Amino acid sequence: MEMTSIDLDVDILVIGGGVVGCAILRELARYDASIALLEQYPDVCEGTSKANSAIVHTGFDARPGTLEARLLAEARQLWPEVIARLHIPYLQTGALMVALNEQEQATIAREIVPKAAANGITLQPLSRAEILEAAPYVNERIVGGVLVEGEGVIDPFWTTRAYCEHALLNGAQLFLGERVNAIEVGPRRLRVHTENGRTFSAALVVNAAGLWADEVARLAGDHSFKLTPRKGEFLITEEDHGVAQIILPVPSEVSKGILVTPIVFGGVLLGPTAEDVSDKRDLATTTAGQQRIREGVGRLVPAMTTVSTVRQFAGLRAVSSTGDYIIRPSTVSERLLHVAGIRSTGLSASPAIGHYVGTLVGETLGLRLRTSYREALPEPLSEAAHEDGEVVCLCRSITRGEILAALRSTLPPQTLDGLKRRTGAMLGECQGNLCLPRLIALFQQELGRDPLSLEKHAPGSRLLVERLTHLGSVPAHRCERSKRGQ
Amino acid sequence: MRKVQMSAYTLEDMPLMEDLHEGDYDVAIVGAGLSALSLLHSGGTALGRTVVLDYQEQVGGLLRYLLPADGFGTEWELLRDFQLPAGVRLLLQTTAVGLLPANDAEPTHTLVVRQRQGTTQLRARQVVIACGGVERPREHDAIPGTRPAGVMTPVLALQLLAQGYLPGRRALVYGDSRYALATARRLAEAGLEVITAAPASGNGRSVRLCGTLEEICGFPRLTAVRLLCDQQSVEVEVDTLIYATGLLAGTHWLKGSGVALTAAGAIAVDAHYRTNIAGIYAIGTVVRPGLDHEDSVRMGKEVAALLPGGVS
Ligand SMILES: Cc1cc2nc3c(=O)[nH]c(=O)nc-3n(C[C@H](O)[C@H](O)[C@H](O)COP(=O)(O)OP(=O)(O)OC[C@H]3O[C@@H](n4cnc5c(N)ncnc54)[C@H](O)[C@@H]3O)c2cc1C
Repeated sequence: MEMTSIDLDVDILVIGGGVVGCAILRELARYDASIALLEQYPDVCEGTSKANSAIVHTGFDARPGTLEARLLAEARQLWPEVIARLHIPYLQTGALMVALNEQEQATIAREIVPKAAANGITLQPLSRAEILEAAPYVNERIVGGVLVEGEGVIDPFWTTRAYCEHALLNGAQLFLGERVNAIEVGPRRLRVHTENGRTFSAALVVNAAGLWADEVARLAGDHSFKLTPRKGEFLITEEDHGVAQIILPVPSEVSKGILVTPIVFGGVLLGPTAEDVSDKRDLATTTAGQQRIREGVGRLVPAMTTVSTVRQFAGLRAVSSTGDYIIRPSTVSERLLHVAGIRSTGLSASPAIGHYVGTLVGETLGLRLRTSYREALPEPLSEAAHEDGEVVCLCRSITRGEILAALRSTLPPQTLDGLKRRTGAMLGECQGNLCLPRLIALFQQELGRDPLSLEKHAPGSRLLVERLTHLGSVPAHRCERSKRGQ
Repeated sequence: MRKVQMSAYTLEDMPLMEDLHEGDYDVAIVGAGLSALSLLHSGGTALGRTVVLDYQEQVGGLLRYLLPADGFGTEWELLRDFQLPAGVRLLLQTTAVGLLPANDAEPTHTLVVRQRQGTTQLRARQVVIACGGVERPREHDAIPGTRPAGVMTPVLALQLLAQGYLPGRRALVYGDSRYALATARRLAEAGLEVITAAPASGNGRSVRLCGTLEEICGFPRLTAVRLLCDQQSVEVEVDTLIYATGLLAGTHWLKGSGVALTAAGAIAVDAHYRTNIAGIYAIGTVVRPGLDHEDSVRMGKEVAALLPGGVS
């Protein structure tokens, strides 16, 4: 991340460090080419990739014939190897789509099953009794449903980070905190400028800026598509309440609906809502949204109506006017490739998107494969190695050893949320209020970070405003006064 | 008798792991906050071979962060003058991460504890769970709005001040407990502009604004909070919110132990502080998160008298 303000010349530049951009970077790293990624936030996975249902969809309900359906099908083949090589936490839970009445049951038979078949997936019809046997926590009032065997849940942060680390291992460069604010299109090269005053030059630029991909396109003078945000709110529980499968409602026109799903690192995820909003930074959770989630999940798993939650959050889907993924060169230059409108399935399709785009770029630039490519990430440290040290995060029993391992990793966290997502610290009942000062101290000790500069997530989210000079410790006379006070 | 300093213990004071489990203890106390210290104070050497462990590097629990502030004189004296009874082993920066109750094969209770040197087990005939709780964050109460920097609980704010940092410039302290108001005073002393607020249903201590917290606004740093005051929405511009609505019982580490909890997640005990498992007791905040300090002290005293082999 050190760079003076001189230009950096690379063959390929990726804009956006979400799951899509990082998956692409990983595939590009196979080629004998210089590559770099620019991300506006101080960490990867700070956009939509951090706030989603974390399901690896099979694509059984994708619109047949779309690029989305095709890439989801390809991704199904790729996942086992990706998970194994990058050591990504994944749980093959299967998904149960449950019908609450005969009408929904009919929709499954008439629409869902044939659509899945067209996507190459056989759904297994289940009777009410079979569902309740497999998932006793499901609403007893269901009339039947289907099992989607291949669905599972994954750690989206780990996935994004692992793609990126794998690319770094194979020579890619990463620039965090670099927000692209101007693009100059030349005949042979593009110049990409960032807010920090840096200029990058590349033979080809991949626009994987998620929800902002239309704005990045516009920087290059390309107004060919528009993305609008559709908010999805979620609730998270600490306990798993016996939920072992993804429980899906029969979907409606607008969304896959509000579901109940196990989380790969513990607890249950409830949501999401689907609400079109106007502000691309509007990640606020609302009373109305939370009520909608409670109603929705209550229909599937009644106990979830009142269950206590430890966290709420929202994500924004990038909805495009086309209704399909937009993966094509820009209207202004063959050298600017858009990968946009990856609305609700980007995590699931990411290995295939990476491969598809990698191949496309490789052909466009006539690249050769690198001879010394490392196929896998090194094995993560053993549990035992992580266990060393006293407990730092009390609620989750996360040790000092685990925190240090994250701070010393190839892609160390730059923010407190980054550390949270790498270790699970601060995710328990108290949400980090107890252990945060210890974490700040470890950041300082390991990475030399001045606590005053430490941010929670986005630029400008500093935790501390100033050093106290006059009140370093409590003056002794206060004890005297306090005695009288009582 | 060894005097417990309020300053941190050094690592040299910590016994090595090997000597931790030479034989069984009569009593193992999880937590070294007020209720545990009161138990030790009352029980003294009569408790028998006793071990006390705590996650923190000092005794005194969460309360320590407010000492010696206005209004906490009694507690401060109790802690300052506390004497560790002879023979009691105090293990700081040592966290209980699991509890395996006694069974037919194993007549003593086993605590799985973790400290700097690693994970080990402690066996004791009686266990007193006095581990208190953690503060309720805004997330627990699902307060709607954004997730900016600048939202914290009193203990976090106090710890940051103690480390010599100002957590913000203008804070709203939401809550009217003694703890909340003492935190407000400390922040004001440190130079923050402080506004106190609490729901009308609170305990009636004087706060500047009476209202219910409705929304957290601003990103990436907090810019305002919205309160519903007398059916009117009031926006208060602040860069810091101290969410001070109380504690949650610290029972997360008891998952799977079989120790019964109340619907609210606290440990269920009878009038004699007995849990559902024979030989396992619980006192203090972990049985009643809304508790005041006097009650913690009283519970410690009472359980000392009740422990078999304890003083009567
Ligand atoms: C509610 C909800 C539920 C979902 N559930 C699932 C699911 O279960 N399974 C699934 O597969 N998918 C799901 N998705 C979809 C999935 O999350 C997205 O498809 C995926 O995260 C998109 O990744 P991305 O990399 O395109 O976007 P992002 O993660 O948003 O990444 C884009 C990145 O570009 C950066 N950027 C933008 N502009 C600039 C700039 N000018 N300069 C530098 N950097 C810039 C951003 O900071 C961001 O990090 C869900 C989405 C939502 C909202």
